[in-house]
Amino acid sequence: MSARYGMVIDLDRCTGCGACMVACAAENNVPALPERATARTGLTPMLVRKLSNGKEGAERREAFIPIACMHCEHETPCVMVCPQQAVEVDKSTGIVMQIPQRCLGCRYCMTACPYHARYFNWWDPQWPAGMEKSLNPGVSVRMRGVVEKCNLCHARLHAAQEKAAAAGKKEIELKDYVPACVEACPTGAILFGNLADEKDPVSIAARSTDSFRLLARIGTEPKIHYKTTQAWIRAQADRNPDHSSEAQHG
Amino acid sequence: MFPWVDGFRWTATHIIFLSLFFAAVVIIVATFASAIFRAASDFREHRANEMCWRENFAELPEEERRCRHELAGRVESRICGNAFDCRECANYPNFAAIAANPRSNVGVAYSDQLLYHRGHTWVRPEWDGTFSVGLDEFANHLIGEPDAVELPQPCEEIESDGIAWRMSKNGHEIRVRAPLGGTVISTGGPGAGWYLKVLPHGQPNLRHLLRGPEVQGWLATEVDRLQVQLSAPNCGPCLADGGTLMPELMDAEPKADWDTVLASAFLDS
Amino acid sequence: MAETMLIDRRWIARGAERSSTASFLLWLTPWVLLLGLGIYAAGLCLYYGLNQTNMDNRFAFGMWIFADLGIIAMGAGAFFTGFLVYILKQEDLKPVLNSAVVVGLTCYSGAVAVLMVDVGQPLRAWFTFWYPNTHSMLTEVTFCISCYLLVLILEYIPVLLKNRQLRKIPSFLVFEHQFHKLIPVLAGVGAFLSFFHQGSLGGLYGVLRGRPFAYRQGFAIWPSTFFLFILSAVAVGPSFLMLVVAGAEKVTGRQLVQATVFRKLGFISGVLLAIYVAAKAVDTYIWLNITTPAVGFGPWDYYSYRPFSSAFLFAAMLPLGLLPAVLMILPATARKRGWLLCGATLACTGVLLNRFVLTVQTLALPTLAFDEFLKYTPSWQEVATFGGVIAYGVIVYSLSYRYLPLFEAPKGANKNVSLG
Repeated sequence: MSARYGMVIDLDRCTGCGACMVACAAENNVPALPERATARTGLTPMLVRKLSNGKEGAERREAFIPIACMHCEHETPCVMVCPQQAVEVDKSTGIVMQIPQRCLGCRYCMTACPYHARYFNWWDPQWPAGMEKSLNPGVSVRMRGVVEKCNLCHARLHAAQEKAAAAGKKEIELKDYVPACVEACPTGAILFGNLADEKDPVSIAARSTDSFRLLARIGTEPKIHYKTTQAWIRAQADRNPDHSSEAQHG
Repeated sequence: MFPWVDGFRWTATHIIFLSLFFAAVVIIVATFASAIFRAASDFREHRANEMCWRENFAELPEEERRCRHELAGRVESRICGNAFDCRECANYPNFAAIAANPRSNVGVAYSDQLLYHRGHTWVRPEWDGTFSVGLDEFANHLIGEPDAVELPQPCEEIESDGIAWRMSKNGHEIRVRAPLGGTVISTGGPGAGWYLKVLPHGQPNLRHLLRGPEVQGWLATEVDRLQVQLSAPNCGPCLADGGTLMPELMDAEPKADWDTVLASAFLDS
Repeated sequence: MAETMLIDRRWIARGAERSSTASFLLWLTPWVLLLGLGIYAAGLCLYYGLNQTNMDNRFAFGMWIFADLGIIAMGAGAFFTGFLVYILKQEDLKPVLNSAVVVGLTCYSGAVAVLMVDVGQPLRAWFTFWYPNTHSMLTEVTFCISCYLLVLILEYIPVLLKNRQLRKIPSFLVFEHQFHKLIPVLAGVGAFLSFFHQGSLGGLYGVLRGRPFAYRQGFAIWPSTFFLFILSAVAVGPSFLMLVVAGAEKVTGRQLVQATVFRKLGFISGVLLAIYVAAKAVDTYIWLNITTPAVGFGPWDYYSYRPFSSAFLFAAMLPLGLLPAVLMILPATARKRGWLLCGATLACTGVLLNRFVLTVQTLALPTLAFDEFLKYTPSWQEVATFGGVIAYGVIVYSLSYRYLPLFEAPKGANKNVSLG
């Protein structure tokens, strides 16, 4: 039976500490970028962004939202547009797999992604002297000029599959496959699991009324869900046609 | 892209898309290859030379495509539509029957015994069945003593209206057109008074060569044009009212537009 | 003409008037310098990487993609003129056909050159052919443009072989003669390929459901932008060709074609432009009232940001759409050269604006509710590379004009008689 790995991220628990970003960078051998890199040329397959309700003073509310590849299920935009099939949906896991060795660097997928979850290697990868010893041997390093994104720590899935095969089992144990961001989060805000399994806590959480997805009306069917009890955060999940223009953008 | 590519999953859209693409590529390549094959067969079947001449003729200005019968004074005005190939012209017998009434010549000698090609070569049938080919007086007066002459080798074939031999003078290359086709038997040169002795295949048709009074009218036109081309740029066209053409004109007026003069005289582009 | 002024006289067609070699070299010099600068800028990008540009993860497509789309739309005159002459038998456009081929060749080869610098890994360009993704419009674009560039190169060969010295080589002349007979086949294939890639370039943006500003519904797998791009390309192709020829006339100081040719190009361009504006109006209505609200976006999400207000949409339709169409169709204005060229310029500007809106503006607009409107300015390397392409086009056209029969005079024309 094929899995559909996804997440539910509790925004009421996310403190914006950024541990998930650091863990992701360490796990995926994200290089240190030169000084002139900016927020818009950075390589952050997991990126924590800040939301606010736009009000000031006592009424101001802020929250943090971790954004990574949503692993869209329906007509996955990046998969549809890549001219050389350098990104594919793995049918057995539902993971949208980026293949950097095949990527031409045309960046069409980056324009297609509504979540801006894809990042381009604008520089050759380089690490401060000595830091290359801390690289993760299970994840290949990408060269300059290719696109990368969250692969749901596919190397860890491989490790779990090897472990299951060594024990003679066909299915992996979900506890063996924990993506780096999930593992690093101090508040346990990120829940990871198999959405195809109805009994999986993530599957249950995804189906609860508190959970929502970003830009759900566009219809990409992302597998990364968010959960909050605060209505003002939910209001920013989609573009609301009744919403007046001033509050959104001055 | 190809069926044997590893991991490539074929769907119906792939088949449609790639079929259209390959069809387009095949058509493009086939068009190009077809042109090459047809060109090769033109060479094999000895059509290439005539094709080149006709292409060249089509690019000549109208002034240089006047029918010999107009130059001979038989008709008032006529542009040749047949690349000067009177052998193929259906109207030739009608026009040839009219008496020639050419303009008077200005200063270039010619002989009634010779047959002249519009490219300023003459042809003389010899007693042994060969034909001598030489440069006419007009051409000799233009060029004078050539710097170099590149003649074909004996036993080489030349084709009518093709390039018979090349000369160079003062840095200009001159391609002299062959008045008739055949095998080169022997070669002469500027000093010999003739350039080639040619043995045609079978009985040659020399109807396209000018003879008799026609030559006078033709040469008069050529000399007129030469004078216009060599006129000084700031005065209008000047025509002499007497005298003979100077010899060694290319040496006498090295700064003139010889490129144009030589091309128009020798029917080149 | 004095002999000494034209050192390259042997390469120039007999009887053709050309300016002196010195003044020609003077004309070429600034363009060669610009080309050199462009090559240097491109070299920097190839050597150091795309961090030399001001593109980033949010503006993954920048000036180069906009420039490419614009150039290819302008170069549509090549296939369309060929189609009009060889398939629709509009013989009176024959004088500009060779020009159209040169314009098309430089536009497409220039666009491909810029694309090779724009992608992160140019040496992997052949991957698209090896693993084509038939769902992707970009695959279609890649295949068709490569094929069509080949067609344009082949169509240029007969023009090249008509050079005065090259045609003296018998095999070249015979080949040119035979190949010329088959040109209508190439024109047909070129029209077919062009139809598809002009459309697919529009389809690139129309399929982006993640960018509701660009996303359009359409017919089967083809969004409406597919058809709109084809229409706008064939509308602007003849206009651009007219501007290039008029520019050549201005620079050389000679009349190169009859005024009727300009009028005909303008008329065709105007009619197609009018049809395009009508189609676009319908498309915009459907998009703003049906497509976009369905995904929770509205016009205020697109047009609230200065300077990209709805004035852009208005400009594209009226002063840069309907107005030039009218100028080029109505006899009162079309018969005056100034108005005709004005109309052509406005038409080209309008189509360039449309390409800009679909590339740069699409990326500037936020999708997520908490995103902001972004700004982007191209770096000097991007501008210089694009400038290099323009210089390349001017240089190739200038050389082609000087040494090749781009505007073949009618047989027997006396060079002192004006063609007007």
